[in-house]
Amino acid sequence: MADSLVRVSGLTLDLYPVPEPFDFQALAGELWMLLGAVDSGRGELIRVIAGLARPQSGRIELFGVDTERLSRRASIQLRSRIGVVLEQTGLVPAWSVFENLALLIKYHGLAPDRAVEDHVVKFIEACRAPSAILAKLACDLSPLESRWVGLLRALIIRPRLLLVSAYLPQETLTAGYDVWTFFEEIVVPMNMTILVDAGPQALPIGPETRLLIMERGSVRAAGRAGDLAEHPDPQVWRYARSSHA
Amino acid sequence: MNTTRWAGGWRGIEALGRMALVPVNHLLEELDFLAAVLISLSLTPSGQWPFLFRHVWQQIYFTAVQRAYVFTVVGLIIGALTAFPLIVFGIHDPQLLGRIMHIMMYHQLNPILGALFVAGLSGAAITAELGELRANQAIEHLAAMGVNPYGFFVLPRLIGVTVSLLILIFWLNLGVTVGAAVMLGFYQNIPLEVFFRVCASGLTIGAAVLTTGMAIMQAIHIVLVQTLRAFRVRAYVDIPRTLPSAFAQSFIGCLLISLLFSLVRYG
Repeated sequence: MADSLVRVSGLTLDLYPVPEPFDFQALAGELWMLLGAVDSGRGELIRVIAGLARPQSGRIELFGVDTERLSRRASIQLRSRIGVVLEQTGLVPAWSVFENLALLIKYHGLAPDRAVEDHVVKFIEACRAPSAILAKLACDLSPLESRWVGLLRALIIRPRLLLVSAYLPQETLTAGYDVWTFFEEIVVPMNMTILVDAGPQALPIGPETRLLIMERGSVRAAGRAGDLAEHPDPQVWRYARSSHA
Repeated sequence: MNTTRWAGGWRGIEALGRMALVPVNHLLEELDFLAAVLISLSLTPSGQWPFLFRHVWQQIYFTAVQRAYVFTVVGLIIGALTAFPLIVFGIHDPQLLGRIMHIMMYHQLNPILGALFVAGLSGAAITAELGELRANQAIEHLAAMGVNPYGFFVLPRLIGVTVSLLILIFWLNLGVTVGAAVMLGFYQNIPLEVFFRVCASGLTIGAAVLTTGMAIMQAIHIVLVQTLRAFRVRAYVDIPRTLPSAFAQSFIGCLLISLLFSLVRYG
């Protein structure tokens, strides 16, 4: 049986009106698209899983561990395996891009001090981003560059779980290299579990793409797009039959 | 009619009670925040120590080293200003002059001045910087990816500002002593070395410990208030609103700490 990386049971999000509790689980290596209206609770679910918001009730297990029962030290260790991208870029403006990217590697001791620079440069090159960007201050970046550096910072630690609750720009920092190709080439081979709440047209939906369709703070339907396309609920199959999330 | 009057009276008493509880609530919040910061010290992963040392040094550089020139000028001028009333009153007794310097300047005014400058310059910078990191979700991003925000953002500033305030008060004391000595030497013909000797002779370990304790408490209070307020920022527009109120709260707290220590010292 595959490992369950994210499992929520009886989760009631802290929203008003109080939503119905729901269960959900994401296995290792799965890509889940969160779909639904603006106030459907997609962003709140990402924040709850990221530990930035508390639900009204329910249990959250990450990597098979109940997050409520973790000590502070264990919680820090657990969260060092999670990459997070939120609405704002979240970079430290006074630092260079290199410092922003190297921070988590140094902090969590993911590479020896002498190897950090090499690690960051190689990663940037692998992502086809111009290495000249590393010397720029985060406050001097364009909105597109900031958004990408924010995503790269979450990926550089090679997380086992990636939570994205942000608009993903269609273009990357390299001309002719779009976000869909980037995901196929760089993110998917990392074999991480991904939960994306990225707005319309963020990523392509195929029959195997897993969809979590939310409504009023609860889950309306969850499963493969191919299966949900035959769902009796017209709102569900409309989402499932669209070609992108 | 009577019932309405009574109800109005009770509401007034309730409002007074709430006002009285405000500083108590602030103090409890501050202690809670301090506990979180101190706990973060025990959770510091090995990778964080270089960041801690680097950020502590940056804070000391920004607060104490960069401001040394300002403090020298301020110290000299305040020393000269302090000397004028003594000259006007015709106080010639060096022992009395030394005692006045200790009680007025070293024990009370200089630590307050140091706290005022640190709260206004470094404290405001801390609030603005951390407020921006809150507004652009940098703190949330890092916290969600396993970085302890208390240990990473607050602890180095707490240590750095505490060390800096101690250095600056020492520096201010030197400047004030030199400024006053020059003026008294010029107008009252009190030799510089005599004045320095009487000022130095009044220094006791007890007094130094009390002043150091007061400065440490003031520094901790400044950093806690400023970072606590910065952590409550939700959007960029909150930052300019937060700055003056954080400064006022931290400075009033420093005055109360000075009052408390003066009561212990002289009360």
